[in-house]
Amino acid sequence: MNRKNKLQVKYTLMSITSLTVFFLVWWLATDVLQVASANALPSPVTVIKTFITKLNNTAPDGATMVEHIGSSVIVAMTGYLVAIVIGVPMGILMAWYKPIDLFVRPLFDLLRPIPGIAWIPLMIIIFGIGLGSKVSVVFMAALIPCILNSYTGIRQTRDVHLWVGQTFGATNFQMLTQIAIPTSLPLVMTGIRVALGVSWTTIVAAELLASTRGLGFMIQQARGIFRPDIIIAGMIAIGAIGALLSWVLTIIEKKIVKGVRL
Amino acid sequence: MNRFKDAANMQKVVAAIISILAFLIFWHVGVKYSSLSKLLPGPIEVLSSFLRSVVVPIGTATIGGHALWSLSRVFVGYAVASILGIILGVTMGWYKSVEAIFRPLFEIIRPIPPIAWIPLAILWFGLGEITKYFLIFLAALSNVTMNAYAGAKSIDPVYVGAAKMLGANDRRIFLSIVLPGSVPHIFAGLQVALSSAWATVVAAEMVRSSEGVGGVIIKGQEINNTVQILVGILAVGIIGFVLAIIMRRLETRLCAWNERGK
Repeated sequence: MNRKNKLQVKYTLMSITSLTVFFLVWWLATDVLQVASANALPSPVTVIKTFITKLNNTAPDGATMVEHIGSSVIVAMTGYLVAIVIGVPMGILMAWYKPIDLFVRPLFDLLRPIPGIAWIPLMIIIFGIGLGSKVSVVFMAALIPCILNSYTGIRQTRDVHLWVGQTFGATNFQMLTQIAIPTSLPLVMTGIRVALGVSWTTIVAAELLASTRGLGFMIQQARGIFRPDIIIAGMIAIGAIGALLSWVLTIIEKKIVKGVRL
Repeated sequence: MNRFKDAANMQKVVAAIISILAFLIFWHVGVKYSSLSKLLPGPIEVLSSFLRSVVVPIGTATIGGHALWSLSRVFVGYAVASILGIILGVTMGWYKSVEAIFRPLFEIIRPIPPIAWIPLAILWFGLGEITKYFLIFLAALSNVTMNAYAGAKSIDPVYVGAAKMLGANDRRIFLSIVLPGSVPHIFAGLQVALSSAWATVVAAEMVRSSEGVGGVIIKGQEINNTVQILVGILAVGIIGFVLAIIMRRLETRLCAWNERGK
Protein backbone atom coordinates (compact mmCIF):
# COMPACT_ATOMS: atom_id res chain seq x y z
CA MET A 1 0.00 0.00 0.00
CA ASN A 2 2.76 2.35 0.99
CA ARG A 3 4.73 1.45 -2.10
CA LYS A 4 1.68 2.19 -4.24
CA ASN A 5 1.34 5.63 -2.65
CA LYS A 6 4.99 6.33 -3.28
CA LEU A 7 4.62 5.39 -6.93
CA GLN A 8 1.58 7.63 -7.21
CA VAL A 9 3.58 10.54 -5.84
CA LYS A 10 6.38 9.77 -8.28
CA TYR A 11 4.03 9.78 -11.26
CA THR A 12 2.35 13.00 -10.17
CA LEU A 13 5.76 14.63 -9.86
CA MET A 14 6.64 13.41 -13.34
CA SER A 15 3.44 14.95 -14.74
CA ILE A 16 4.15 18.26 -13.07
CA THR A 17 7.74 18.22 -14.31
CA SER A 18 6.65 17.46 -17.86
CA LEU A 19 4.21 20.39 -17.90
CA THR A 20 6.79 22.67 -16.33
CA VAL A 21 9.41 21.69 -18.89
CA PHE A 22 6.95 22.32 -21.71
CA PHE A 23 6.15 25.84 -20.58
CA LEU A 24 9.75 26.53 -19.62
CA VAL A 25 11.01 25.57 -23.09
CA TRP A 26 8.29 27.68 -24.68
CA TRP A 27 9.20 30.62 -22.45
CA LEU A 28 12.96 30.21 -23.01
CA ALA A 29 12.55 29.94 -26.77
CA THR A 30 10.50 33.13 -26.95
CA ASP A 31 11.14 35.63 -24.15
CA VAL A 32 14.65 34.70 -23.09
CA LEU A 33 16.59 33.36 -26.07
CA GLN A 34 14.24 34.73 -28.74
CA VAL A 35 14.79 31.80 -31.07
CA ALA A 36 11.25 32.06 -32.42
CA SER A 37 10.17 35.34 -33.97
CA ALA A 38 7.34 37.11 -32.16
CA ASN A 39 5.36 36.99 -35.40
CA ALA A 40 5.31 33.20 -35.27
CA LEU A 41 5.30 32.24 -31.62
CA PRO A 42 4.58 34.67 -28.79
CA SER A 43 5.75 33.85 -25.29
CA PRO A 44 3.33 32.16 -22.87
CA VAL A 45 3.34 35.32 -20.77
CA THR A 46 2.17 37.42 -23.74
CA VAL A 47 -0.55 34.88 -24.53
CA ILE A 48 -1.91 34.99 -20.99
CA LYS A 49 -1.81 38.79 -20.97
CA THR A 50 -3.56 38.96 -24.33
CA PHE A 51 -6.15 36.46 -23.17
CA ILE A 52 -7.04 38.60 -20.17
CA THR A 53 -7.10 41.95 -21.98
CA LYS A 54 -8.95 40.54 -24.96
CA LEU A 55 -11.77 39.36 -22.66
CA ASN A 56 -13.19 42.89 -22.58
CA ASN A 57 -11.20 44.68 -25.25
CA THR A 58 -12.72 45.11 -28.70
CA ALA A 59 -9.46 45.76 -30.60
CA PRO A 60 -8.52 44.66 -33.24
CA ASP A 61 -11.61 42.92 -34.63
CA GLY A 62 -14.48 44.93 -33.20
CA ALA A 63 -15.74 42.65 -30.45
CA THR A 64 -14.55 41.40 -27.09
CA MET A 65 -13.67 37.75 -26.61
CA VAL A 66 -16.73 37.32 -24.38
CA GLU A 67 -18.93 38.52 -27.26
CA HIS A 68 -17.15 36.20 -29.69
CA ILE A 69 -17.64 33.26 -27.32
CA GLY A 70 -21.29 34.13 -26.83
CA SER A 71 -21.90 34.34 -30.56
CA SER A 72 -20.17 31.01 -31.31
CA VAL A 73 -21.92 29.18 -28.49
CA ILE A 74 -25.38 30.47 -29.39
CA VAL A 75 -25.06 29.53 -33.08
CA ALA A 76 -23.54 26.12 -32.32
CA MET A 77 -26.17 25.30 -29.70
CA THR A 78 -29.06 26.33 -31.95
CA GLY A 79 -27.99 24.01 -34.77
CA TYR A 80 -27.09 21.30 -32.29
CA LEU A 81 -30.45 21.32 -30.49
CA VAL A 82 -32.40 21.28 -33.75
CA ALA A 83 -30.27 18.34 -34.89
CA ILE A 84 -31.04 16.43 -31.67
CA VAL A 85 -34.77 17.16 -31.84
CA ILE A 86 -34.95 15.94 -35.45
CA GLY A 87 -32.15 13.37 -35.55
CA VAL A 88 -32.86 11.24 -32.49
CA PRO A 89 -36.55 10.54 -33.28
CA MET A 90 -35.61 9.98 -36.91
CA GLY A 91 -33.00 7.37 -35.98
CA ILE A 92 -35.47 5.66 -33.64
CA LEU A 93 -38.23 5.57 -36.27
CA MET A 94 -35.83 4.29 -38.91
CA ALA A 95 -34.68 1.46 -36.69
CA TRP A 96 -38.15 0.48 -35.49
CA TYR A 97 -40.38 0.77 -38.53
CA LYS A 98 -39.17 -1.24 -41.47
CA PRO A 99 -40.78 0.76 -44.31
CA ILE A 100 -39.16 3.95 -43.02
CA ASP A 101 -35.85 2.14 -42.85
CA LEU A 102 -36.19 0.87 -46.41
CA PHE A 103 -36.93 4.27 -47.89
CA VAL A 104 -35.04 6.72 -45.69
CA ARG A 105 -31.87 4.72 -45.10
CA PRO A 106 -30.57 4.99 -48.70
CA LEU A 107 -30.92 8.77 -48.63
CA PHE A 108 -29.23 8.90 -45.26
CA ASP A 109 -26.38 6.71 -46.51
CA LEU A 110 -25.96 9.11 -49.40
CA LEU A 111 -25.63 12.07 -47.02
CA ARG A 112 -23.56 10.38 -44.34
CA PRO A 113 -20.05 10.46 -45.85
CA ILE A 114 -20.17 14.21 -46.54
CA PRO A 115 -18.48 16.11 -43.70
CA GLY A 116 -20.51 19.03 -42.36
CA ILE A 117 -17.73 21.44 -43.29
CA ALA A 118 -18.18 20.72 -47.00
CA TRP A 119 -21.67 22.25 -46.88
CA ILE A 120 -20.40 25.66 -45.79
CA PRO A 121 -20.06 27.33 -49.23
CA LEU A 122 -23.42 26.04 -50.45
CA MET A 123 -25.19 27.23 -47.30
CA ILE A 124 -23.51 30.62 -47.60
CA ILE A 125 -24.83 31.00 -51.15
CA ILE A 126 -28.33 29.92 -50.11
CA PHE A 127 -28.63 31.70 -46.73
CA GLY A 128 -25.97 34.42 -46.86
CA ILE A 129 -23.22 34.99 -44.29
CA GLY A 130 -25.70 35.43 -41.44
CA LEU A 131 -27.01 33.18 -38.74
CA GLY A 132 -28.99 30.89 -41.05
CA SER A 133 -26.06 29.47 -42.98
CA LYS A 134 -24.03 28.66 -39.88
CA VAL A 135 -26.93 27.12 -38.00
CA SER A 136 -27.76 24.93 -40.98
CA VAL A 137 -24.15 23.79 -41.41
CA VAL A 138 -23.95 22.84 -37.72
CA PHE A 139 -27.31 21.11 -38.08
CA MET A 140 -26.11 19.03 -41.04
CA ALA A 141 -22.95 18.02 -39.20
CA ALA A 142 -24.63 17.16 -35.89
CA LEU A 143 -27.58 15.35 -37.45
CA ILE A 144 -25.54 12.39 -38.67
CA PRO A 145 -24.17 11.10 -35.33
CA CYS A 146 -27.61 11.67 -33.73
CA ILE A 147 -29.38 9.50 -36.31
CA LEU A 148 -26.66 6.89 -36.52
CA ASN A 149 -26.36 6.21 -32.80
CA SER A 150 -30.10 6.19 -32.07
CA TYR A 151 -30.50 3.76 -34.94
CA THR A 152 -27.79 1.43 -33.61
CA GLY A 153 -29.15 1.81 -30.08
CA ILE A 154 -32.64 0.64 -31.03
CA ARG A 155 -31.19 -2.19 -33.12
CA GLN A 156 -29.38 -3.47 -30.02
CA THR A 157 -32.64 -4.40 -28.31
CA ARG A 158 -32.53 -8.08 -27.42
CA ASP A 159 -35.11 -10.28 -29.11
CA VAL A 160 -35.79 -12.04 -25.82
CA HIS A 161 -36.94 -8.80 -24.24
CA LEU A 162 -39.28 -8.17 -27.15
CA TRP A 163 -40.64 -11.71 -26.91
CA VAL A 164 -41.38 -11.20 -23.23
CA GLY A 165 -43.21 -8.03 -24.16
CA GLN A 166 -45.21 -9.85 -26.80
CA THR A 167 -46.07 -12.65 -24.38
CA PHE A 168 -47.50 -10.12 -21.98
CA GLY A 169 -49.53 -8.61 -24.78
CA ALA A 170 -47.66 -5.37 -25.40
CA THR A 171 -48.55 -3.47 -28.54
CA ASN A 172 -45.85 -2.56 -31.04
CA PHE A 173 -45.84 1.02 -29.79
CA GLN A 174 -45.60 -0.09 -26.15
CA MET A 175 -42.65 -2.31 -27.01
CA LEU A 176 -40.97 0.67 -28.64
CA THR A 177 -41.47 3.05 -25.73
CA GLN A 178 -41.11 0.57 -22.86
CA ILE A 179 -38.37 -1.74 -24.15
CA ALA A 180 -36.48 -0.47 -27.17
CA ILE A 181 -36.08 3.21 -26.28
CA PRO A 182 -34.83 2.60 -22.71
CA THR A 183 -32.39 0.04 -24.15
CA SER A 184 -31.11 2.53 -26.67
CA LEU A 185 -30.61 5.45 -24.25
CA PRO A 186 -26.89 4.96 -23.53
CA LEU A 187 -26.10 4.87 -27.24
CA VAL A 188 -28.43 7.78 -27.95
CA MET A 189 -26.48 9.75 -25.36
CA THR A 190 -23.21 8.72 -27.05
CA GLY A 191 -24.58 10.11 -30.31
CA ILE A 192 -25.59 13.34 -28.62
CA ARG A 193 -22.10 13.60 -27.11
CA VAL A 194 -20.34 12.99 -30.45
CA ALA A 195 -22.66 15.52 -32.08
CA LEU A 196 -21.65 18.14 -29.51
CA GLY A 197 -17.98 17.83 -30.45
CA VAL A 198 -18.85 17.91 -34.14
CA SER A 199 -21.03 21.00 -33.69
CA TRP A 200 -18.30 22.89 -31.91
CA THR A 201 -15.66 22.00 -34.51
CA THR A 202 -18.01 22.88 -37.36
CA ILE A 203 -18.94 26.28 -36.00
CA VAL A 204 -15.26 27.18 -35.72
CA ALA A 205 -14.71 26.09 -39.33
CA ALA A 206 -17.74 28.01 -40.55
CA GLU A 207 -16.55 31.14 -38.79
CA LEU A 208 -13.05 30.74 -40.21
CA LEU A 209 -14.45 30.77 -43.74
CA ALA A 210 -17.04 33.50 -43.56
CA SER A 211 -18.30 35.38 -40.59
CA THR A 212 -18.31 38.71 -38.82
CA ARG A 213 -18.36 37.42 -35.26
CA GLY A 214 -17.26 34.39 -33.27
CA LEU A 215 -14.08 32.69 -32.09
CA GLY A 216 -13.24 31.26 -35.53
CA PHE A 217 -13.57 34.74 -37.02
CA MET A 218 -11.39 36.17 -34.26
CA ILE A 219 -8.47 33.84 -34.90
CA GLN A 220 -8.77 34.21 -38.67
CA GLN A 221 -8.64 38.03 -38.34
CA ALA A 222 -5.67 37.75 -35.99
CA ARG A 223 -3.81 35.73 -38.65
CA GLY A 224 -4.33 38.51 -41.18
CA ILE A 225 -2.62 41.06 -38.91
CA PHE A 226 0.09 38.70 -37.58
CA ARG A 227 -1.13 38.52 -34.00
CA PRO A 228 -0.34 34.91 -33.00
CA ASP A 229 -0.96 35.80 -29.36
CA ILE A 230 -4.62 36.40 -30.16
CA ILE A 231 -4.72 33.20 -32.23
CA ILE A 232 -3.38 31.11 -29.35
CA ALA A 233 -5.63 32.86 -26.82
CA GLY A 234 -8.54 32.05 -29.14
CA MET A 235 -7.47 28.43 -29.45
CA ILE A 236 -7.31 28.16 -25.68
CA ALA A 237 -10.82 29.60 -25.46
CA ILE A 238 -12.06 27.17 -28.13
CA GLY A 239 -10.57 24.21 -26.29
CA ALA A 240 -11.83 25.37 -22.90
CA ILE A 241 -15.39 26.05 -24.08
CA GLY A 242 -15.49 22.68 -25.86
CA ALA A 243 -14.38 20.93 -22.68
CA LEU A 244 -16.87 22.94 -20.63
CA LEU A 245 -19.79 22.08 -22.91
CA SER A 246 -18.92 18.40 -22.77
CA TRP A 247 -18.70 18.57 -18.98
CA VAL A 248 -22.19 20.11 -18.80
CA LEU A 249 -23.45 17.31 -21.02
CA THR A 250 -21.95 14.69 -18.69
CA ILE A 251 -23.93 16.14 -15.78
CA ILE A 252 -27.14 16.09 -17.81
CA GLU A 253 -26.38 12.55 -18.93
CA LYS A 254 -25.99 11.35 -15.36
CA LYS A 255 -29.42 12.79 -14.56
CA ILE A 256 -31.14 11.19 -17.56
CA VAL A 257 -29.51 7.79 -17.95
CA LYS A 258 -29.84 6.35 -14.48
CA GLY A 259 -29.90 2.71 -15.50
CA VAL A 260 -27.19 0.74 -17.21
CA ARG A 261 -23.73 2.17 -17.70
CA LEU A 262 -21.90 1.04 -20.76
CA MET B 1 -33.77 -19.85 -46.29
CA ASN B 2 -31.38 -18.50 -48.90
CA ARG B 3 -34.18 -17.50 -51.20
CA PHE B 4 -35.76 -15.70 -48.27
CA LYS B 5 -32.59 -13.65 -47.81
CA ASP B 6 -32.41 -12.89 -51.52
CA ALA B 7 -35.97 -11.62 -51.45
CA ALA B 8 -35.17 -9.33 -48.52
CA ASN B 9 -32.09 -8.00 -50.31
CA MET B 10 -34.12 -7.48 -53.47
CA GLN B 11 -36.67 -5.51 -51.47
CA LYS B 12 -33.88 -3.35 -50.04
CA VAL B 13 -32.43 -2.56 -53.45
CA VAL B 14 -35.82 -1.74 -54.96
CA ALA B 15 -36.71 0.52 -52.03
CA ALA B 16 -33.34 2.25 -52.30
CA ILE B 17 -33.81 2.90 -56.01
CA ILE B 18 -37.34 4.18 -55.49
CA SER B 19 -36.38 6.50 -52.66
CA ILE B 20 -33.34 7.95 -54.44
CA LEU B 21 -35.34 8.43 -57.65
CA ALA B 22 -38.13 10.08 -55.66
CA PHE B 23 -35.59 12.39 -54.07
CA LEU B 24 -34.08 13.33 -57.46
CA ILE B 25 -37.52 13.94 -58.99
CA PHE B 26 -38.56 16.01 -55.99
CA TRP B 27 -35.34 18.05 -56.32
CA HIS B 28 -35.80 18.43 -60.08
CA VAL B 29 -39.43 19.53 -59.84
CA GLY B 30 -38.76 21.73 -56.83
CA VAL B 31 -36.03 23.59 -58.65
CA LYS B 32 -37.83 23.81 -61.96
CA TYR B 33 -41.16 25.15 -60.76
CA SER B 34 -40.16 27.51 -57.96
CA SER B 35 -37.92 30.47 -57.29
CA LEU B 36 -35.43 28.01 -55.77
CA SER B 37 -33.85 27.77 -59.21
CA LYS B 38 -32.05 31.05 -58.57
CA LEU B 39 -30.12 29.42 -55.73
CA LEU B 40 -29.95 25.77 -56.53
CA PRO B 41 -29.26 23.95 -59.81
CA GLY B 42 -31.26 20.86 -60.70
CA PRO B 43 -29.98 17.30 -60.27
CA ILE B 44 -29.52 16.72 -64.01
CA GLU B 45 -27.26 19.73 -64.32
CA VAL B 46 -25.17 18.66 -61.32
CA LEU B 47 -24.81 15.03 -62.36
CA SER B 48 -23.97 15.84 -65.96
CA SER B 49 -21.40 18.41 -64.96
CA PHE B 50 -19.94 15.94 -62.47
CA LEU B 51 -19.55 13.39 -65.27
CA ARG B 52 -18.12 16.05 -67.58
CA SER B 53 -15.55 17.04 -64.93
CA VAL B 54 -14.13 13.52 -65.07
CA VAL B 55 -12.59 14.45 -68.44
CA VAL B 56 -12.81 18.25 -68.62
CA PRO B 57 -10.63 19.97 -66.01
CA ILE B 58 -12.04 22.32 -63.36
CA GLY B 59 -9.34 24.95 -62.90
CA THR B 60 -6.05 23.06 -62.88
CA ALA B 61 -7.17 19.42 -62.91
CA THR B 62 -10.05 17.07 -63.60
CA ILE B 63 -12.14 15.96 -60.64
CA GLY B 64 -10.05 12.79 -60.46
CA GLY B 65 -6.87 14.89 -60.35
CA HIS B 66 -8.29 17.04 -57.55
CA ALA B 67 -9.26 13.91 -55.64
CA LEU B 68 -5.70 12.58 -56.00
CA TRP B 69 -4.31 15.87 -54.68
CA SER B 70 -6.51 15.66 -51.60
CA LEU B 71 -5.84 11.96 -51.09
CA SER B 72 -2.08 12.38 -51.31
CA ARG B 73 -2.25 15.09 -48.64
CA VAL B 74 -4.37 12.89 -46.42
CA PHE B 75 -2.01 9.98 -46.97
CA VAL B 76 1.11 11.82 -45.78
CA GLY B 77 -0.42 13.33 -42.66
CA TYR B 78 -2.38 10.22 -41.83
CA ALA B 79 0.56 7.83 -42.18
CA VAL B 80 2.80 9.87 -39.90
CA ALA B 81 0.01 10.35 -37.36
CA SER B 82 -0.86 6.64 -37.37
CA ILE B 83 2.68 5.49 -36.68
CA LEU B 84 3.30 8.09 -34.01
CA GLY B 85 -0.18 7.73 -32.48
CA ILE B 86 0.01 3.96 -32.18
CA ILE B 87 3.43 4.09 -30.54
CA LEU B 88 2.46 6.92 -28.20
CA GLY B 89 -0.94 5.46 -27.32
CA VAL B 90 0.18 1.91 -26.61
CA THR B 91 3.24 2.91 -24.59
CA MET B 92 1.13 5.45 -22.71
CA GLY B 93 -1.42 2.76 -21.91
CA TRP B 94 1.15 0.25 -20.76
CA TYR B 95 4.02 2.17 -19.14
CA LYS B 96 2.91 4.30 -16.22
CA SER B 97 5.88 6.66 -16.49
CA VAL B 98 5.22 7.39 -20.20
CA GLU B 99 1.61 8.07 -19.26
CA ALA B 100 2.69 10.42 -16.46
CA ILE B 101 4.86 12.43 -18.84
CA PHE B 102 2.72 12.64 -21.99
CA ARG B 103 -0.86 12.43 -20.75
CA PRO B 104 -1.01 15.99 -19.29
CA LEU B 105 0.50 17.52 -22.47
CA PHE B 106 -1.86 15.51 -24.58
CA GLU B 107 -4.87 16.54 -22.50
CA ILE B 108 -4.02 20.21 -23.07
CA ILE B 109 -3.86 19.85 -26.85
CA ARG B 110 -6.72 17.40 -27.30
CA PRO B 111 -9.79 19.61 -26.70
CA ILE B 112 -8.66 22.04 -29.42
CA PRO B 113 -10.26 20.96 -32.70
CA PRO B 114 -7.69 20.54 -35.52
CA ILE B 115 -9.51 23.13 -37.58
CA ALA B 116 -8.79 25.76 -34.95
CA TRP B 117 -5.08 25.25 -35.74
CA ILE B 118 -5.54 26.50 -39.31
CA PRO B 119 -4.61 30.17 -38.71
CA LEU B 120 -1.60 29.33 -36.56
CA ALA B 121 -0.44 26.63 -38.98
CA ILE B 122 -0.60 29.15 -41.84
CA LEU B 123 1.50 31.62 -39.83
CA TRP B 124 4.05 28.92 -39.09
CA PHE B 125 4.27 27.05 -42.35
CA GLY B 126 2.80 29.40 -44.95
CA LEU B 127 0.09 28.45 -47.39
CA GLY B 128 1.87 25.43 -48.86
CA GLU B 129 1.60 21.72 -48.47
CA ILE B 130 3.23 21.46 -45.05
CA THR B 131 0.34 23.33 -43.44
CA LYS B 132 -2.09 20.76 -44.81
CA TYR B 133 0.06 17.80 -43.74
CA PHE B 134 0.33 19.31 -40.28
CA LEU B 135 -3.43 19.82 -39.92
CA ILE B 136 -4.24 16.30 -41.12
CA PHE B 137 -1.57 14.95 -38.79
CA LEU B 138 -3.22 16.73 -35.85
CA ALA B 139 -6.69 15.55 -36.85
CA ALA B 140 -5.64 11.91 -37.09
CA LEU B 141 -3.23 11.88 -34.14
CA SER B 142 -5.64 12.34 -31.25
CA ASN B 143 -8.06 9.66 -32.49
CA VAL B 144 -5.33 7.10 -33.08
CA THR B 145 -3.58 7.84 -29.79
CA MET B 146 -6.71 7.78 -27.64
CA ASN B 147 -7.87 4.48 -29.09
CA ALA B 148 -4.47 2.80 -28.88
CA TYR B 149 -4.30 4.03 -25.28
CA ALA B 150 -7.70 2.57 -24.46
CA GLY B 151 -6.67 -0.65 -26.19
CA ALA B 152 -3.55 -1.09 -24.10
CA LYS B 153 -5.56 -0.29 -20.96
CA SER B 154 -8.15 -2.92 -21.84
CA ILE B 155 -5.70 -5.84 -21.82
CA ASP B 156 -6.98 -8.62 -19.58
CA PRO B 157 -4.58 -8.82 -16.58
CA VAL B 158 -5.04 -12.59 -16.56
CA TYR B 159 -3.04 -12.87 -19.80
CA VAL B 160 -0.27 -10.71 -18.40
CA GLY B 161 -0.23 -12.77 -15.21
CA ALA B 162 -0.07 -16.03 -17.16
CA ALA B 163 2.82 -14.75 -19.28
CA LYS B 164 4.70 -13.59 -16.21
CA MET B 165 4.20 -16.96 -14.57
CA LEU B 166 5.64 -18.62 -17.66
CA GLY B 167 8.68 -16.38 -17.36
CA ALA B 168 8.13 -13.74 -20.04
CA ASN B 169 10.08 -10.52 -19.49
CA ASP B 170 8.66 -7.00 -19.75
CA ARG B 171 9.59 -6.52 -23.37
CA ARG B 172 8.13 -9.86 -24.35
CA ILE B 173 4.86 -9.09 -22.56
CA PHE B 174 4.63 -5.75 -24.32
CA LEU B 175 5.36 -7.13 -27.79
CA SER B 176 3.41 -10.40 -27.64
CA ILE B 177 0.43 -9.49 -25.45
CA VAL B 178 -0.16 -5.76 -25.12
CA LEU B 179 0.51 -4.78 -28.72
CA PRO B 180 -1.56 -7.49 -30.45
CA GLY B 181 -4.25 -7.18 -27.79
CA SER B 182 -4.75 -3.51 -28.60
CA VAL B 183 -5.14 -4.08 -32.35
CA PRO B 184 -8.97 -4.07 -32.42
CA HIS B 185 -9.05 -0.74 -30.59
CA ILE B 186 -6.26 0.63 -32.77
CA PHE B 187 -8.26 -0.24 -35.86
CA ALA B 188 -11.31 1.52 -34.51
CA GLY B 189 -9.09 4.55 -33.98
CA LEU B 190 -7.63 4.34 -37.48
CA GLN B 191 -11.13 4.33 -38.96
CA VAL B 192 -12.32 7.37 -37.03
CA ALA B 193 -9.02 9.10 -37.75
CA LEU B 194 -9.34 8.56 -41.50
CA SER B 195 -12.79 10.10 -41.70
CA SER B 196 -11.71 12.99 -39.53
CA ALA B 197 -8.56 13.46 -41.66
CA TRP B 198 -10.77 13.54 -44.75
CA ALA B 199 -13.03 16.21 -43.24
CA THR B 200 -9.96 18.22 -42.24
CA VAL B 201 -8.33 18.15 -45.67
CA VAL B 202 -11.54 19.54 -47.13
CA ALA B 203 -11.56 22.32 -44.53
CA ALA B 204 -7.86 23.08 -45.02
CA GLU B 205 -8.28 23.24 -48.78
CA MET B 206 -11.31 25.48 -48.42
CA VAL B 207 -9.27 28.02 -46.48
CA ARG B 208 -6.69 28.29 -49.22
CA SER B 209 -5.93 26.01 -52.12
CA SER B 210 -6.41 25.85 -55.84
CA GLU B 211 -6.12 22.08 -56.04
CA GLY B 212 -8.03 19.40 -54.19
CA VAL B 213 -11.74 18.77 -53.76
CA GLY B 214 -12.01 21.45 -51.06
CA GLY B 215 -10.48 23.86 -53.57
CA VAL B 216 -13.14 22.92 -56.12
CA ILE B 217 -15.86 23.76 -53.60
CA ILE B 218 -14.39 27.08 -52.50
CA LYS B 219 -13.59 28.20 -56.07
CA GLY B 220 -17.21 27.42 -56.87
CA GLN B 221 -18.26 29.78 -54.11
CA GLU B 222 -15.90 32.52 -55.28
CA ILE B 223 -17.27 32.51 -58.83
CA ASN B 224 -20.81 31.94 -57.54
CA ASN B 225 -21.06 28.63 -59.35
CA THR B 226 -23.40 26.45 -57.30
CA VAL B 227 -23.07 23.57 -59.76
CA GLN B 228 -19.33 23.41 -59.12
CA ILE B 229 -19.90 23.49 -55.35
CA LEU B 230 -22.27 20.55 -55.58
CA VAL B 231 -19.88 18.65 -57.86
CA GLY B 232 -17.21 19.14 -55.19
CA ILE B 233 -19.55 18.02 -52.39
CA LEU B 234 -20.49 14.95 -54.42
CA ALA B 235 -16.82 14.06 -54.92
CA VAL B 236 -16.11 14.55 -51.20
CA GLY B 237 -19.00 12.25 -50.32
CA ILE B 238 -18.04 9.53 -52.80
CA ILE B 239 -14.40 9.45 -51.70
CA GLY B 240 -15.36 9.50 -48.01
CA PHE B 241 -17.66 6.58 -48.65
CA VAL B 242 -15.02 4.58 -50.55
CA LEU B 243 -12.41 5.24 -47.83
CA ALA B 244 -14.81 4.00 -45.13
CA ILE B 245 -15.52 0.83 -47.09
CA ILE B 246 -11.82 0.14 -47.67
CA MET B 247 -11.13 0.50 -43.95
CA ARG B 248 -14.00 -1.81 -43.03
CA ARG B 249 -12.81 -4.46 -45.52
CA LEU B 250 -9.27 -4.19 -44.18
CA GLU B 251 -10.53 -4.62 -40.66
CA THR B 252 -12.49 -7.78 -41.40
CA ARG B 253 -9.40 -9.14 -43.20
CA LEU B 254 -6.82 -8.25 -40.58
CA CYS B 255 -8.86 -8.64 -37.42
CA ALA B 256 -10.77 -11.76 -38.48
CA TRP B 257 -9.80 -13.38 -35.20
CA ASN B 258 -11.57 -10.72 -33.23
CA GLU B 259 -14.86 -9.61 -34.67
CA ARG B 260 -15.18 -6.35 -32.82
CA GLY B 261 -18.79 -5.41 -32.13
CA LYS B 262 -19.99 -8.89 -33.28
